[in-house]
Amino acid sequence: MQHVTVTKSGTTSSDLVGLLERVAAKDRTAFAGLYEATSAKLYGIVVRILLRRDLADEILQEVYVKIWEKAGDFDAGRASPITWMATIARNRALDEARKAKPVSLEDMPAGFDVVSDAPLALELLTQSEDGRRLFECLDKLEPEKREVVVQAYLNGLSREDLGKRFSRPVPTIKTWLHRSLSQLKDCLGT
Amino acid sequence: MSGLTDIDALAAEFVLGTLDASERATVAARLQREVPLQQAVHYWEGRLAPLQGLAQPVEPPANLMHQIERRLAAARKTGVQSITQDSAALQRKLARWRNSAIAAGALAASLAVVLGVREANRPSADQNFVAVFQKDDASPSFVMSVDLATRTLSVRRVSADVPSGKTYQLWIKADELGKDPQSLGLVEGTTTQVKTAIAGIDPMIVQNALFGVSLEPAGGSPTGKPTGPTFHAKLIPTL
Repeated sequence: MQHVTVTKSGTTSSDLVGLLERVAAKDRTAFAGLYEATSAKLYGIVVRILLRRDLADEILQEVYVKIWEKAGDFDAGRASPITWMATIARNRALDEARKAKPVSLEDMPAGFDVVSDAPLALELLTQSEDGRRLFECLDKLEPEKREVVVQAYLNGLSREDLGKRFSRPVPTIKTWLHRSLSQLKDCLGT
Repeated sequence: MSGLTDIDALAAEFVLGTLDASERATVAARLQREVPLQQAVHYWEGRLAPLQGLAQPVEPPANLMHQIERRLAAARKTGVQSITQDSAALQRKLARWRNSAIAAGALAASLAVVLGVREANRPSADQNFVAVFQKDDASPSFVMSVDLATRTLSVRRVSADVPSGKTYQLWIKADELGKDPQSLGLVEGTTTQVKTAIAGIDPMIVQNALFGVSLEPAGGSPTGKPTGPTFHAKLIPTL
């Protein structure tokens, strides 16, 4: 379970577990605390995928309504609280991204340069044990293929988006993805 | 390199986010019932989760929490709230309901029949239930599913038209709740999906209650009781 870089104001994973338990009991103060501790994190994830702020605002609202409703489903034995919440946010944002009118990659707002920061930022992964493991395994992929995986995850790029960005046919991207993911699984273990 | 199984490749791409809309919807539907796929998705969610740390936090607009609170308050006030909901799960429950109902010969289409089968169900707080409000056996008009564990209730309008200036209203009737049906809120909109909390009602009462959907003037029944044509149904456990 991670205790780093997940939320602001030093909220730990166990704090979040406690907050989620109270939210499950419909404690609105706890819900406000949970929002305060996690909203920038989740908004960062959602904005990065959707790019359009208006859309991201709408989706973040839905995400927190869902967290309010589903908090009772959270199982601390299966996932860390921030992973559980971020998964809800990512899935909702990805669904929206796939159905929304595609945003041109050139329309990206300032501050979201998806190309240049990923390799540097990968170092951030080493702050937790799970992250170190993933970093080591990603590091074994060829740089371009690693980039495809990281950008797909972080920016919510479809195979088509990735094909354009990396100037490859979509079937090639699909083959790359499957090979890379297979290599990752071999490296990460079960 | 061992290569990925089909399920693993699908799960990995689902979590990575590279599937298109229809592929995502297919996976979401399969996740409702396929344990190996659930496990594979869970594996990849956990393994790739550290990548979430690479997304820079961004402060949301200051009024966003206020808007969320308003959504929750609106849901509490009306008891009903539009929500994106997994229709695949509902379809699955409907299919199950059909199977169990046909098997039991319990295709209850009228209030009289429904009232006649008020057998006492044993408490089972972890069970899901469905009810179908229908004009005839072949075409249910509303499908309702209840998850007693999370105390949530979802109604989906399947085939009923909404006449101009009218709305559908959902009711619960149980001896313990008094003589008259209690409103659970309006079944509104063309989204055909609503969700309401039934947190304040004992699960046993919910489980054995009679439910109704009535056609009312826009805004809901003016009298606090059903005034228009009403479909009734009782909950049937999903297996």
